[in-house]
Amino acid sequence: MANPSRRPRFLDVTRIRFPVGAICSFGHRVSGVALAIASPLLAVLFTRSLQGAEGYAEAANWLTPLPVRAALVLVVWALAHHLLAGVRHLLMDVGFGSALGTARASAWLVNLAGVAIAALAVGALR
Amino acid sequence: MRFSIYRFNPERDSRPTMQNFEAVVGPHDRMLLDVLLRLREQDDSLTFRKSCREGICGSDAMNINGRNGLACITPLAGLKEPVALRPMPGFPVIRDLIVDMTQFFNHYHAVRPYLVNHEPPPERERRQSPAERAKLDGLYECILCGACTGFCPSWWWNPDRFLGPAALLQAMRFIADSRDRATAERLEFLDDAYRLYRCRTIMNCTEVCPKGLSPSRAIEHIRQRIVKEGL
Amino acid sequence: MRAVASGTRAWLLQRLTAVYMLVFLVLTLGRCAVDPPASHEAWRNWIGTGGMRVATVLFFVGLVLHAWVGLRDVAMDYVHPLALRVALLALVGAGLAAFAAWMILVLAGL
Repeated sequence: MANPSRRPRFLDVTRIRFPVGAICSFGHRVSGVALAIASPLLAVLFTRSLQGAEGYAEAANWLTPLPVRAALVLVVWALAHHLLAGVRHLLMDVGFGSALGTARASAWLVNLAGVAIAALAVGALR
Repeated sequence: MRFSIYRFNPERDSRPTMQNFEAVVGPHDRMLLDVLLRLREQDDSLTFRKSCREGICGSDAMNINGRNGLACITPLAGLKEPVALRPMPGFPVIRDLIVDMTQFFNHYHAVRPYLVNHEPPPERERRQSPAERAKLDGLYECILCGACTGFCPSWWWNPDRFLGPAALLQAMRFIADSRDRATAERLEFLDDAYRLYRCRTIMNCTEVCPKGLSPSRAIEHIRQRIVKEGL
Repeated sequence: MRAVASGTRAWLLQRLTAVYMLVFLVLTLGRCAVDPPASHEAWRNWIGTGGMRVATVLFFVGLVLHAWVGLRDVAMDYVHPLALRVALLALVGAGLAAFAAWMILVLAGL
């Protein structure tokens, strides 16, 4: 008889069709990790901006190059998605929106609103 | 009707492969299981579990076009071709579409899925009002097919330690039962970083439950009970 | 809620810090959106004095605790070798603690 411990498992996520809530949840996790990495960098910016006139000016200067502004758009997107998905979770914790239909709708809302806010950021940081 | 089906024979194959089939659909075939049974006329080595053919035994849970479901109650109409059939994700594959459910049932047994009440039994039944009985609705109907657990990413990453939506739903079924006296012990058992708290409320479970149940909501209720008891 | 390895404590901490940070961010980013501080002094005076300074310190403490619970969950999901996971979490924990200490010092020094 074949060795049971060598049984394969089907886990090819590219072959699995994820519902919208799973996309929202995955985004929540990715954005969380992204924010954790971005936080120290943002804190450096924040700290510098509080160090008098030259500090404030230098912090503003750091934000002028295009790659930095592009990264900031991504940070805004991460924050928006993480925050909105978090609110969705908090509401479900206290009983609002855990029914499947409502949960799907709120997941769509969160996913799209995050992108919309990122688009606004593109406009604001242009 | 075109199919692409996961094949794995442990006595012959070192890796699973996908095999294409062209199935003839009979005039009275309505459900996926009907055609799967016809496919065995072409290739009787094709292996899958099935029994009741009406969505109550839970034997034929599998991954159909990327989503878990029961073959016997999945209508042929609307199935995108080629219909991709794979075993439920995350479970060890014994052969073709048959998975090893041992771990799944271990988790089920771990939540003590039986009434615990050491009070002397009354002359007839342990009574329960209709309102108390209604609390079991949405929990007792689980057929233990595994579709939810096999679609839960948190369970995929920790199948040995996270109990999974099915077992957790059954845990809630007994917590909610007014005749049970072991609520405190049940909650304490579940209050663990792995057993319950791997759940991120992704809600994949509720999306695929063939009986329309909501394990994610049951898990929410367990959390609420734990917090309430703790305060 | 008694067990050391209780999942409930971490979960509650994550939720409570989330609510605090949500309120803080909505109020501060909201204020910046409608009535941004006019100069570097106005900015520094706003953040660096009184209740706002305390609230900002609490924000960073909350952020570090929230990030800890979240990153620990990520490690528990994906990093299975025990020694590797412990090492990773120790590193992350140290980093977060240092971050919190740094921000408290910065804000205390204003």
